[in-house]
Amino acid sequence: MDWKLWEPLIEFARKRSLWIVSFCTGCGGIEMPPLMTSRYDLERFGMMPNPAPRMADLFLITGYVTPKTLKRIIITYEMQPDPKYVIAHGSCTINGGIYWDAYNAIKRLDAYIPVDVYIAGCMPRPESVMEGINKMMEMIENGTADSWKRYKENYEWYKKNQDELFGEGWREREAKRWIPWIMDDLKRVEKEREKND
Amino acid sequence: MFEVALKALFLLLYATFVGFIFMGIIRKVSARIHRRVGPPLYQPILDTIKLLSKKSNITHGLIYDFGIIYALGATILALFFIPIGSVSILRAYGDLILITFLLEIPMLGIMFAAMSSGNPWAGLGAQRALLTLLAIQVPLGFAIVALAEFYGTFSTYQIVMAQQVSGWSITHVSLLLAAIAYDIVLQAMFGKEPFDIMIAPGEISLGPMVEFGGKHMGILQIQHAIALFAETLFFSNIFLGGAVVTIFASPVLNTIASLGILLIKQIAVLMVAIFIGNIFPRFTIDQAAKFYWKWPTIIAALGAVLASL
Ligand code: SF4
Repeated sequence: MDWKLWEPLIEFARKRSLWIVSFCTGCGGIEMPPLMTSRYDLERFGMMPNPAPRMADLFLITGYVTPKTLKRIIITYEMQPDPKYVIAHGSCTINGGIYWDAYNAIKRLDAYIPVDVYIAGCMPRPESVMEGINKMMEMIENGTADSWKRYKENYEWYKKNQDELFGEGWREREAKRWIPWIMDDLKRVEKEREKND
Repeated sequence: MFEVALKALFLLLYATFVGFIFMGIIRKVSARIHRRVGPPLYQPILDTIKLLSKKSNITHGLIYDFGIIYALGATILALFFIPIGSVSILRAYGDLILITFLLEIPMLGIMFAAMSSGNPWAGLGAQRALLTLLAIQVPLGFAIVALAEFYGTFSTYQIVMAQQVSGWSITHVSLLLAAIAYDIVLQAMFGKEPFDIMIAPGEISLGPMVEFGGKHMGILQIQHAIALFAETLFFSNIFLGGAVVTIFASPVLNTIASLGILLIKQIAVLMVAIFIGNIFPRFTIDQAAKFYWKWPTIIAALGAVLASL
């Protein structure tokens, strides 16, 4: 079957049913509920907030990103299936915003995950977020929204930046971080039980 | 043989299309209740096309793929047993118990797939879904018993024919009680609000659906559309009189008329579910189990007793 023929329909469907993964970071998270509710109803364009990353297409990074959050953002981003798009929202994602001299905020989000559309403002009004989403839809239509391709092609570069920030093997370290703490807790509980017996 | 296959294909396409429109109606009406504009009616079709056209896909093994197909297959089989005016294929075997059983099987398929994904949220959602499934059996069983007692048959088609003579089921007091109990159960079968504990968006991520993405979710959307069609159709067949139109001379006109009448009845059933779903918050799982074993059970049992008098 020749899928080329169906490409316009598929592009239209991709454009008109962007599901957002509800990952609200920073202050911009407060700007998300107004977008979804009755005043600026984003469901008109078929967008839906979605708690599961596996179903989502659009990732809205809504504000400053700390290294701790960035780990989660990268993992969530990598969990999404492939045509996936990122909108970075607020000045903090562009150059650090008012946190330009903070030791604990990421200055350039673009160095860690690829971004399609930036929305400036601190914080942007819902209208400007809608403008950004409009731009996103245009880019999907004419095929310039290719951040997921860039992430695949330039993975070495992104990985180098991530490793520079967190140190090599951060995924395993992050996963194992709680084990000693849980073991200590278990030991403490056991000791208390022995004392009581 | 060829004719039956053609009929089956027609039925499948019709059910899928109308099911998608029903899903659109749910989203549109909910949006209007919230004073929003809401998505266009064909939105679920676009969602499904998008999900099926994803370029990368994850799988967690054979059961993960099989569970989805199993759910879809069971839903299609359930659809074929329910009489749709005069088009249905297997209606001679359309037993009440068989159809209620087949309408619950898809949930098991989704549970298989969810459990095999190994996600803790999916496991939690599966447990909740199975408990809900267990809880709705009691009122559902009593409602079926009331119907069978009243009409003296288990065949859905004969029940539809009997209603042509003696009026709709809900005009009889005993069956009205059964219908009320069944409608409360329907809320859980649709996965609508007071009893959407198994999916619980926001509370436990998406429950069993949390690991499904791309093509798996696309197939589940199609399954959900057909299930929505089949469940509303079953309700309007057994309680709202179904539709067997014989006033026109040509069989095609008769078929179209009966499909239209059924469609109106199905939308009425759907509307009740949407209105209830939009104004009630979610129950916790223990409240839901207690609720189902109390009020709907009492109502349906009363109906069954009245029907057998
Ligand atoms: S850009 Fe402004 S509103 Fe947005 S996260 Fe940064 S400080 Fe907060």
